[in-house]
Amino acid sequence: MRVNSLQAYRWMVVCRELDRALCAANPRWFPIEGEEATVVGSFVDLQPDDAVAPHYRDPFVVYLMRGAEMWRLAAQVLGKIDGYNKGRSVPFNGPVELKVVPWVAGDLGTTVGTATGAALAFQQAGTEQVCVCSFGDGTANRGDVHEALNLAACWRLPIVYVCQNNGWAISQQFQSYVSGPIARRADGYGIPGVCIDGNDVDAVRNAVGQAVSRARAGNGPSLIEARTWRWRGHWAGDAQEYRGTFPEPEVEDPLDLYAYRLLTEGVVSLEELQKVHREVEAEVGAAMECALASPDPGPGDLGLDDVYA
Amino acid sequence: MSQTDAVVDAIACEMRADPRVFYIGQDVGAMGGSLQGTHGLYAEFGAKRIREAPISESAMVGAAIGAALFGQRPIVEISFGEFVPAAMSQLINQAPNLRYMTGGVARVPVVIRTRVGDGPYGGHPHDYSAWFAHVPGLKVVMPARPADARGLMLSAIRDDNPVLFVEAMSLAHAPREPVSDGCEPIGRARLARAGADVTVAAIGSMVAAALRAAAAVEPEGIEVEVVDMRSIQPLDTACVVESVKRTRRLVTVHEAWVTAGLGAEIVAAVAEACPQALCAPAVRLGTAPVPTPSGKVRPLALPNAERIAAAIRRLVGA
Repeated sequence: MRVNSLQAYRWMVVCRELDRALCAANPRWFPIEGEEATVVGSFVDLQPDDAVAPHYRDPFVVYLMRGAEMWRLAAQVLGKIDGYNKGRSVPFNGPVELKVVPWVAGDLGTTVGTATGAALAFQQAGTEQVCVCSFGDGTANRGDVHEALNLAACWRLPIVYVCQNNGWAISQQFQSYVSGPIARRADGYGIPGVCIDGNDVDAVRNAVGQAVSRARAGNGPSLIEARTWRWRGHWAGDAQEYRGTFPEPEVEDPLDLYAYRLLTEGVVSLEELQKVHREVEAEVGAAMECALASPDPGPGDLGLDDVYA
Repeated sequence: MSQTDAVVDAIACEMRADPRVFYIGQDVGAMGGSLQGTHGLYAEFGAKRIREAPISESAMVGAAIGAALFGQRPIVEISFGEFVPAAMSQLINQAPNLRYMTGGVARVPVVIRTRVGDGPYGGHPHDYSAWFAHVPGLKVVMPARPADARGLMLSAIRDDNPVLFVEAMSLAHAPREPVSDGCEPIGRARLARAGADVTVAAIGSMVAAALRAAAAVEPEGIEVEVVDMRSIQPLDTACVVESVKRTRRLVTVHEAWVTAGLGAEIVAAVAEACPQALCAPAVRLGTAPVPTPSGKVRPLALPNAERIAAAIRRLVGA
């Protein structure tokens, strides 16, 4: 279900604009700026009944692609009762009813196991559904990730793993925790592994698209390392005094890169792109307004009846 | 049937009735499982539904949780309780949180099966079951006889919540007893023996030991009531409270350690519900506070019928 270029660009704008608004509203939100091409490109071409398990760093654009309501996601970041999690979980949690693998704790790597289970469910049921699961370069070192990739490879599960390598694990730069290309770990599992430019949304869509086709055809998992860069702090209010210890690379703005390509190839006009920005800014503004108006959880909202089914 | 036969029979029945039920574990195929815990299943259901996994407890449990979230009803076996900590994030951070943290939407019908304690196998004796009673969102059962093993496994597979199913290894192949066709409810204790003088609240393998202790003190004129807890989350403390109101004396016993154990929870429940009921201090028995030994030191550490009988005699002043 490949979306057109303007639609892909629009999702990247949604990703950036919503994230900026959320960072302004909650200094503890985890900003995505600079990584939009990887997030959008990994998930934008999936079928509605596929499962998605995006990395925790502002995954909301992925939930929106599944049909989530923007104002309810924003309400979640503000801890409000109208969030999908009813004011309970980590704010980056996603609606399981939209085939999102939810974030119900803040530990990393466990959702990679759960996402692998979504693919297992599809294989057991004999459907052509797939799961796409992204995780960070920090998370890549969790034993859970190794266990999940090996298990998925042994069982040829219909899943695509995308390592969203943004160069940072909180305050540590990747040299301190990764000693070789993450994509090459795929060799050890006997699955395809590629390293791509994570700032180029076309490159991400092409690599993920091929891996998805392979998974859908019953040929098992793939690992894609998408190299991008975290522009901001680990959290929005992060003073980042740790920056500057290492020289930072020159990085492209994934939105500018894509807009320039679409314009020079004559795919879209400048007016169309500007219209997208105007529309998205209005949409985000309205969603934030609704979210702010949502009540905080009250004394009756603890939810004791929701612990067990 | 033995406890193992009963569990395997329950799994086979549910797998025949429901195509969403499948099994994940190590050595569960041609070998027939640790302690023959899956014998016959691979021959009947084949490799797609009896899945042999890499030694990756966290991925096995994680994959089972994910499969449950997306419409299947998996049973995942962690061969021995000693290996359960390798899947701790999935068992503590993931499975029990899913429903509450998704606003009451997610269903996680997964059974995690494991084996603990003393027994014919000799190794892997650690019993960490109490850790899991601490966590809201999990159910934890520990049968003490084949009939309950079968009935509780049926209930566990049909439950829409994550259920940790803990089998005492000392009961794996003996005794052999008749079983019935039905489910046994999770969270309800059972009166294993009626008596007027002392209540022994026992879990898993210690139910049989408590019954032996009760028989040993009977000729001395001491009537012991034995409560088989059967589930440890939810814990049916009301059953113990009712019993203690009659006997006025309480011993708790399980193979897990005493400190912060289920015995403490049972004593606390009695103290909260009827502090005036006890006419003697409550006694908590369990494995001695040492890492559970695998070698021949082990009998020195474990609770047994003699130690339970001694506690009973102390309580009645005999």
